[in-house]
Amino acid sequence: MSRLLFGDAPVEITSSGRAYSVSLDDRLGQVELVEADQGRMLLLIDGRRVVAYVSPDGSSVWVTTGGRTFRLKKSITAARSAASHDASSELAAPMPGQVRAVNVNAGDAVTKGQVLMVLEAMKMEIRLHAPFDGQISSVEAGVGQTVEREQLLIRLHRRDS
Amino acid sequence: MFSTILIANRGEIAVRIARACKELGIHTVAVYSEADRHALHTQVADEAVLIGGPQPGESYLNIERVIAAAKETDAEAIHPGYGFLSENAEFAEAVQAAGLTFIGPPPSAIRAMGDKAESKLRMQRAGLPIIPGAQNLNSDSDFVAAARAMGFPLLIKASAGGGGKGMRTVTEAGDLLEELEAARRVALSAFGDDRLLLEKYIEAAQHIEFQVFGDQHGHLVHLFERECSVQRRHQKIIEETPSPLLTPELREKMGQAAVIAAGVVGYYNAGTVEFLVDPATSQFYFLEMNARLQVEHAVTELLTGLDLVQWQIRIAAGERFPFQQEDVTRRGHAIECRIYAEDPASGFLPSTGGLLQLLEPRGPGIRLDSGVAAGGEVSHYYDPLLAKLIVHAEDRSSAIRRIQAALRDYVVHGVVTNIDFLQDVLADPDFQDGSVSTGWVESLFEWRPSAVPADALIAAAVAELNALSSGSQLAGAAETDPFSPWKSAKGFRN
Repeated sequence: MSRLLFGDAPVEITSSGRAYSVSLDDRLGQVELVEADQGRMLLLIDGRRVVAYVSPDGSSVWVTTGGRTFRLKKSITAARSAASHDASSELAAPMPGQVRAVNVNAGDAVTKGQVLMVLEAMKMEIRLHAPFDGQISSVEAGVGQTVEREQLLIRLHRRDS
Repeated sequence: MFSTILIANRGEIAVRIARACKELGIHTVAVYSEADRHALHTQVADEAVLIGGPQPGESYLNIERVIAAAKETDAEAIHPGYGFLSENAEFAEAVQAAGLTFIGPPPSAIRAMGDKAESKLRMQRAGLPIIPGAQNLNSDSDFVAAARAMGFPLLIKASAGGGGKGMRTVTEAGDLLEELEAARRVALSAFGDDRLLLEKYIEAAQHIEFQVFGDQHGHLVHLFERECSVQRRHQKIIEETPSPLLTPELREKMGQAAVIAAGVVGYYNAGTVEFLVDPATSQFYFLEMNARLQVEHAVTELLTGLDLVQWQIRIAAGERFPFQQEDVTRRGHAIECRIYAEDPASGFLPSTGGLLQLLEPRGPGIRLDSGVAAGGEVSHYYDPLLAKLIVHAEDRSSAIRRIQAALRDYVVHGVVTNIDFLQDVLADPDFQDGSVSTGWVESLFEWRPSAVPADALIAAAVAELNALSSGSQLAGAAETDPFSPWKSAKGFRN
């Protein structure tokens, strides 16, 4: 599950394929992404057809829906609600892919920003960084392994805690 | 007829003029500044000439460079559009001195109408009603005495000015000297002339203007009115025709007055006579004459079926305007919304940036005069007008519904626009009644951006996750948390 913050509006979102569960203002909705093309998306939100135009723009995202346009500030981007600010954290795969490198072992001390693991997916290289200074509790995937989106890869906890 | 015309402008009006030329079989030359290398107006013309740096003074206002570009490309005439050099009598004279045709009124008429104090007196002598006021004042004590005699509230205006620059409202005597000083500073920097005049401030006035059109053979008609009362900072944002408030009698009287005003200065080509109307008394007053094509000319085109830009060119080439006053007819109702790159939530500050996404509305009765294309850049050098959306329908309420529907289909990402603001103005009961006066936007219409709906947040969240999994840069470009776990989504090298 990912927790995103647009301005001061938190959105929790979990995906499986093209279906998403979205929690917003303590309400849970089921969303299906029917099609996405060049910044235009057709969504089914609880069965209701919604067309939205979305353009990423650095730390903002422009969204037009229902004839109105909003520029949303991404306060935290794709940070995990699995408590990156808590004492312990779980890092999961942001997308399906293959593990290309594992740079740490259980018990290693790491510093914030250090690259812990590298994934390859869709011709992209994705680096998993340590979200804080801490220690690796466990490494859950090895080099060459194919992982699913949201699959747990690394557990770590804060140092001195 | 001319075989080549140089268009001394940029943005939507340059595109619109190029279109008129194409239909007349005329070769077009665009000019552009270094900031406009990829601008739409350079792409729609047959040729484009770089005339200087991004600052207007280095390019679009540079008389020598514009005329040199016309000479280089063998243009025979120059269309100035609106703004920039369009009401500059010296430019019109320089064009003529270079052996080219200026597509517009005679320089003498531009000069006569350019001085607001002088033109008021001239119109008064011609029998037109003018707003009570005082001109040709010199010392502060002259101003104070004149203001006392007139009473408050009153308006200070730049004698040489226009476009709302240097205009200040004074509500009490104690503020007069301070406001005069401020108006002088603005007038001096904007027009190089700090002479001021005083005018009685008419509360809840309507701004109604008449399009006039004349040929070089002494024939002059009006093409009805445009209601331009929806303004912010003395600049128009919505215009329509016919005016919801004019009675047939008042329309006829004002139309005649407009033709007289133009005739007094020997006007030909397209021009606009502006009036203020006091709805309480149905009294109208001559305000000023704009010696050029107006931004909002398209509503008149849709209402009358005449192509004003093509007629400007034909008249400049010496043709006769073939329509008598009674031949000019109108049908239905036309409304224009000006689409500005500006943020209504922060005092209409201009917004700049690249156009990430641009979807323009289309459909029956919808016209879009746009100066930008997706992928283009909106710079801070020029007026933030992106486009004009104009609709024509059977009557006023159908036209309002049509333009509302069109605005809903308008998607602009990359710069903040006034589209949502326009929607809220159009939906307001005061606008729907047609009872809006010039001070309405700033004093009566309270606007706040609407709250972000759940659908928008959901769409943004889905896009964000989807972008991650499809490998786009959505999340990677500029994250606020540099140590977010998937910060470095880099292109894979192999």
